[in-house]
Amino acid sequence: MNVSIPLPRLRYAALALAGWAAASCSPNKFLDVNVSPNNPTVVQPTVQLPTITVGTAFVVGNMLGRDADLFIQHYAGLANQPFTEDKYAISGNYDNEWRGDLYGNNLNGAQTLIASTQGTNPAYSGIAKLLKAYNFALATDMWGDVPYSQALQGLGNIHPAFDRQQDIYEGATGIQSLFDLVREGLSDLDKATALPAGSVSPVPSAADDFVYKGVLSKWKKMGNMLLLKFANTISSKDPALATRVINEVLAKGAAGSAAINANADDFAVPFGAALGNTNPFYSYNVTNRPNDQMASTRFLDSLAANKDPRLPKYFTTTPDNPTPTEKTTYGNFTGFENGSSATAPVRANRSLYTTYVLGVAGEAPVRLLTNFQRAFILAESALRLNTAGDANALYQEGIRRSMEETGLSTTEIDAYFAANPNIVTLQGTNIRKLNQIITQKWIAWVGNGYEAWNDYRRTGFPRLQPALNVSFTPNIPQRLLYPPSEVAANGDNIPKVVISDKVWWAN
Amino acid sequence: MKKQVLLTLLLLVTLFHAVLAQTRAVSGRVTDQKTGEGLPGVTVLLKGTTNGTSSNADGSFTLTVPQVGGALVFSSVGMNTVEHALGSETQFNVGLTQNSRELSEVVVTALGIEKDKRTLGYATQEIQGAAVANKSEPNVVNALQGKVSGVNITGSSGLAGSSTNINIRGITSLTGNNQPLFVVDGIPISNDTDRTNGGAAGTLYGAQTANRAADIDPENIANISILKGPAAAALYGSRASSGAILITTKSGANVNRKLEVVVNTGFNFQTVLGLPAFQNDYGQGSGGTNTTSAGAGNIFTGSTTSWGPRFGTTPTYANGLLLANGSLLPYQAYPNNIRDFYKTGTLWTNGLQLAGNTGTSNFSLNVNSTTQKGITESSTLQRTNIQLGGGTTLQNKIRLTGSVNFSQTDQLAPQTGNGGSAFGTLAAVPRSFDLQGQPYQTVTGANLYFPGLDNPNYNLLNSNTASSVTRFINVASIGYDFFPWLSVVYRAGLDTYTDRRKQIAAISSARNPTGLIFQDEIQYAEFTGDLLITAKKENIFVDKLNATLLVGQQTNQRKRNEQYVSAATLSQPGFYNTINAAVFTGSGETNYTRRLLGYYADLSLAYNNYLFLEGTARVDQSSTLPTSNRTFLYPSVSAGFVFTDAFNIDSDFFSYGKIRGNVAMVGRDADAYVLDSYYITGGQGNNVANVTFPFNNVVGFRPSTMIGGVNSLNVLKPEFTKSAEVGLNLGFFNNRLTLDATYFKTVSSNQIIPVTIAPTTGYSSFYTNAGELDNKGIEILATASPVRSASGFTWDITANYTRIRNLVVSIYPGVTSSTIPGSSFIGSVPSYVVGQPYGVILGQKKATAPDGQYLINPRTGLWVTELSSQVTANPNVDWQGGITNTLGYKGLTFSFLFDAIVGGDILSFTQAAYKSAGVLQQTGADRDQPRVIPGVIAVANADGSTSYRQNNIQVDAQSYWSNQGLQSDLNVYDGTHFTLREVSLGYSLPKDLLTRTPFGSASISVSGRNLFYYAPNANFFPEVNTQGAGNIRGLDLQGAPSVRSYGAYLRFTF
Repeated sequence: MNVSIPLPRLRYAALALAGWAAASCSPNKFLDVNVSPNNPTVVQPTVQLPTITVGTAFVVGNMLGRDADLFIQHYAGLANQPFTEDKYAISGNYDNEWRGDLYGNNLNGAQTLIASTQGTNPAYSGIAKLLKAYNFALATDMWGDVPYSQALQGLGNIHPAFDRQQDIYEGATGIQSLFDLVREGLSDLDKATALPAGSVSPVPSAADDFVYKGVLSKWKKMGNMLLLKFANTISSKDPALATRVINEVLAKGAAGSAAINANADDFAVPFGAALGNTNPFYSYNVTNRPNDQMASTRFLDSLAANKDPRLPKYFTTTPDNPTPTEKTTYGNFTGFENGSSATAPVRANRSLYTTYVLGVAGEAPVRLLTNFQRAFILAESALRLNTAGDANALYQEGIRRSMEETGLSTTEIDAYFAANPNIVTLQGTNIRKLNQIITQKWIAWVGNGYEAWNDYRRTGFPRLQPALNVSFTPNIPQRLLYPPSEVAANGDNIPKVVISDKVWWAN
Repeated sequence: MKKQVLLTLLLLVTLFHAVLAQTRAVSGRVTDQKTGEGLPGVTVLLKGTTNGTSSNADGSFTLTVPQVGGALVFSSVGMNTVEHALGSETQFNVGLTQNSRELSEVVVTALGIEKDKRTLGYATQEIQGAAVANKSEPNVVNALQGKVSGVNITGSSGLAGSSTNINIRGITSLTGNNQPLFVVDGIPISNDTDRTNGGAAGTLYGAQTANRAADIDPENIANISILKGPAAAALYGSRASSGAILITTKSGANVNRKLEVVVNTGFNFQTVLGLPAFQNDYGQGSGGTNTTSAGAGNIFTGSTTSWGPRFGTTPTYANGLLLANGSLLPYQAYPNNIRDFYKTGTLWTNGLQLAGNTGTSNFSLNVNSTTQKGITESSTLQRTNIQLGGGTTLQNKIRLTGSVNFSQTDQLAPQTGNGGSAFGTLAAVPRSFDLQGQPYQTVTGANLYFPGLDNPNYNLLNSNTASSVTRFINVASIGYDFFPWLSVVYRAGLDTYTDRRKQIAAISSARNPTGLIFQDEIQYAEFTGDLLITAKKENIFVDKLNATLLVGQQTNQRKRNEQYVSAATLSQPGFYNTINAAVFTGSGETNYTRRLLGYYADLSLAYNNYLFLEGTARVDQSSTLPTSNRTFLYPSVSAGFVFTDAFNIDSDFFSYGKIRGNVAMVGRDADAYVLDSYYITGGQGNNVANVTFPFNNVVGFRPSTMIGGVNSLNVLKPEFTKSAEVGLNLGFFNNRLTLDATYFKTVSSNQIIPVTIAPTTGYSSFYTNAGELDNKGIEILATASPVRSASGFTWDITANYTRIRNLVVSIYPGVTSSTIPGSSFIGSVPSYVVGQPYGVILGQKKATAPDGQYLINPRTGLWVTELSSQVTANPNVDWQGGITNTLGYKGLTFSFLFDAIVGGDILSFTQAAYKSAGVLQQTGADRDQPRVIPGVIAVANADGSTSYRQNNIQVDAQSYWSNQGLQSDLNVYDGTHFTLREVSLGYSLPKDLLTRTPFGSASISVSGRNLFYYAPNANFFPEVNTQGAGNIRGLDLQGAPSVRSYGAYLRFTF
């Protein structure tokens, strides 16, 4: 076989081929292949609401809540990060929470959802504003001054100024107050309720609204609850504004009925049992780091001293431990001293969170806003701000709603109330009464260290001793330090603060 | 697949054709006229054709020539060229004379164009195939270590098949790929590492997968040409801005007999290298006691650290007496419990190579197999390579060449890293724990160890990643000389591979307690087509001025597809099929397609063979840039001047001198799909707590934290690296001593980077053109032949030296530091920081007083809490060099390579964990003695000022060692090390011994790698890089150590 083509013909053939190739080649068409098949540039609100809702619960239940839990001594650290964080050795590494969870996921998610639904789908824009308000409150409560009015503008402002916490709560020129942000959200929800059915698509439903299943009236309760919570938070520093806001909510319904007034209406984000869908307490303390934490001896002491029936509802018993921390009628419990460097008991001999916090397999909700919280807030404001309502009755309601939430029966609760009148009745001076309210609220907030830490910093109650072996700051931290990612990219704007500086609303 | 069939057919056709050609064979011997000795490696060429061969070891050659006419041209480096007309004789004896002034070497340059090295205005370095074959090292990149100036090579670990990082002339791109472009037989191929990072609970835990250049068998390599700078690589365009490594596979072109058959086999052992020394005086416990459950519990209820009682003290339950499975255990040291975790690995290579050359056609068929069993369980590599290559010139003068490289690479790799891998939990093996003697799993196959930790042996066997890569690299070219001065070649190449991966974790493993199967399949295909038109003219315009003009067009397409599924909550233990999973924590696919059209021209001028000028220009059109900015041009100019020839300096002492220089620019496009801003699937958290979508079967999306490159502040443009280089080549003593020195500077500016912005903007970064990264450096390559005795004794030395200084000049207004993309440990962040060299680690530094002494906490006597985001480690080396000595006498060859790597910090979590656990040898010394940390205590004065008093607080050994911090500057080591990198001793049997055997030649060699090292400032071998090939360097996040190898090779030709 001989491959042979006469030369002249080959030359012409080659030239013709080259000409054809050049002519048939359209570089633009060939090069227009840069549209990503991997990720969308536009999404429906129905796929955005789940990430914001779950993200909000995740950030409260994960490291921020876990550290606040250590500070207010619900739980103690045995190993790894909780071990050092229990000694307040915190050098500001909250990048995941600040960058990833709060500003990156929850807040920017809410912001983009508002942008895409504002004016066209007020149900989603209203819900998104309420979630945005919650997350901004969380950020400022944890860090003090944070970017707010200039935040979330993308390249519109790559060095957002840090607004003063006072301005974030109260509002100022060019700064919408958190209260007004909530009111705007509520007003959107009012618009949505007024719209005829089917006039917008999509509408929130059980599929994407994990908490309230698309029932907008419950979202309004959540919004009113936010007003109560924010007012309560600033009540020491701006009692007049706090009183006005609480009265605004009370005017919508007596005893706070416009806010969350049934345990079933709690803003509690449910999780799932499947791996990756479990709540953050479970993900950390059961799945990934089962040896890092156990109950705080100090918290167990408080519960045991009160003979509190929630003790076995919150913590597992340690029947095999010959030297338990507490021997109670509810069984034996073993805790760990916050900050201790002692060898921890073996896992079977540790009191750990129960299904109240963890669920049977991680499905327990993270409770963000609750019915007992409403009762305690109204009790405190009746006491200190003279708002409507009987402080003692509201105090007792708070305890009952919390006990009910843990699964105690009315009979059991009644029995406890009958046997411990001194505990369940406000007594003495207003300061003593406040101590009682906040201490009971502290006991109720198991699983939400954020709220308990807020109350502690606001009121100084319950009276807690710093952890052992503290090396960084001698006292219970008053705030978190700004994360390295913000320091690196927005350092000039960052206020100079230390971990012992109180935030504005703290007393 | 269709392409491979076609190619194979094409080759068969051409071979058949070759057999039918009308030819005859001539043979002969080339000698040195002065000494009469046979001259090896002399090129024997049929004049006016590409038909040629080279003389073998004793100077003899055989060549197929036409029945009548023609002439043979004999040429060799350093010798005068001789032409000999062909008569009717079939036997030639030719003597060559030395040419003292020539220093000529043909090298492969960009686009596979062969050029005489003396004409080049830029630095290249050639490595012969023999220098990487048979070197106890299956990864060709590792085999280059210490041999090339300007190149830094660091293996990630000694596990079989783990990737190796290679950077040429430093790092030029802040976030882009800084690995050089790998080119096989003229076409670019993938050297991607394709890290799969751990699946659902992903970071800091994953297998060390291979860099894909490891699919090439070193045995198949004819030679390697390293193009170091942008000028050398300009014609390859954007992807060669980090240099290029051109690999030419064997094709039979320089086989001088009709058929040569080579059989080789090698066997190596590998042992773990560079473990630190451990203490053997104290066992399990904390604070000097060992408390277990109820005072007498199971061994696993105690501490994982070795701060327990001293061995030899009275055993009591409180004092170390332990139970395992109900029986008493002796309380004693197991000095080798960590060392014996590593076993002796083996590496077995076998190869069969056939090569033939008929004069007009040549072919080679190589079949090689490599079987490696690593230094731990679950670390294996099995690679099979089949390569068929060849070329022919048809009777109508059309030249065809082609090669088909098939490889099948199967790797099994254990997990490494801080997040619970076996290597991470080794630090949690108390000195008194019999790791090899105690069972690692229960009777039901569950993990048996301290709670929350994997037993290292259990982890190895049950949590690993299997990868199976099937790859074809096919090249075909057709060329024709339209006129004697005009030739046209079209070359097309396809590199395609499929990597099927499966990462598994057993039920009960600490990291994935419900078990995990993460399965992904990566498909990659890259097509490159080059049209090359070359025009040559001699004596153009003036006498002795020769010009070569090359114009070309390139079409390149890269397509990648990865499909994955993460399946968890397994039910049947030990059964790793996704049908066994109840929960799917993520599935999907990622794709990219990117295309590039390039148009280029290269004009070379040579005057009188001593003055050379070359200019190149290239225009690229890239699919990844905005339409308005996707066409970009970049030029280069280089010059070389052989002044010894120009000025007729003709001396035996100063035999060759050339000065050269160039300036060049290389443009670079963006990654695919970085222009838009996207929504990404929801999910938050890290390895300690996370949430993934779908969430309870509901899909969720969130805005990506990255803003695309077309945004309100800018529209992305191509980035450019500019470089300038000057160099000097000198030859002395008839070129028995040569020096090749280069100084270079590169400036890479307006880089396409995601600039970090304040997270409170809602985003973490946006794509823009910003930043400047500068490199300057010196490279020196020297060769010497001190001895060439008449008795046959030879001594050759090759040495290289590299010193590179790298500086991040700017990032973006207002941004002084940014994170290098990739996974890292929060708090130890590989970064680029303005004013610092690239890749420094921002970690935690112990706080100091103004005078530099440590600040001590007055309550504890320990360091006060670290400052975060401090520059703690600089992974860039100060300088590096290698020196190879080769001694030869008759059939004996002995060579050894020493290399030095000076500087280059490493942050070692491995050492940190060993310290903290009281395992390291230093932690056992004076353990019962208190110590006072040198430092000062701050005292607040009444007037508000601060003064400092000397620390006098005693702390115990455990507090001292366990409070150094995991990621603090106290765990940063200077990585300086000097290594006896390679030693080999070979012996070729004398020809007369083989006359009665079927062998043409037979040789045996023994070789060793990393036989000895000296690291003055590190107590381990500092070549560990747990992030594998990539821009993150200097981090040992509890990866696997390196290896030492030694073995023997046998090689026969028939």
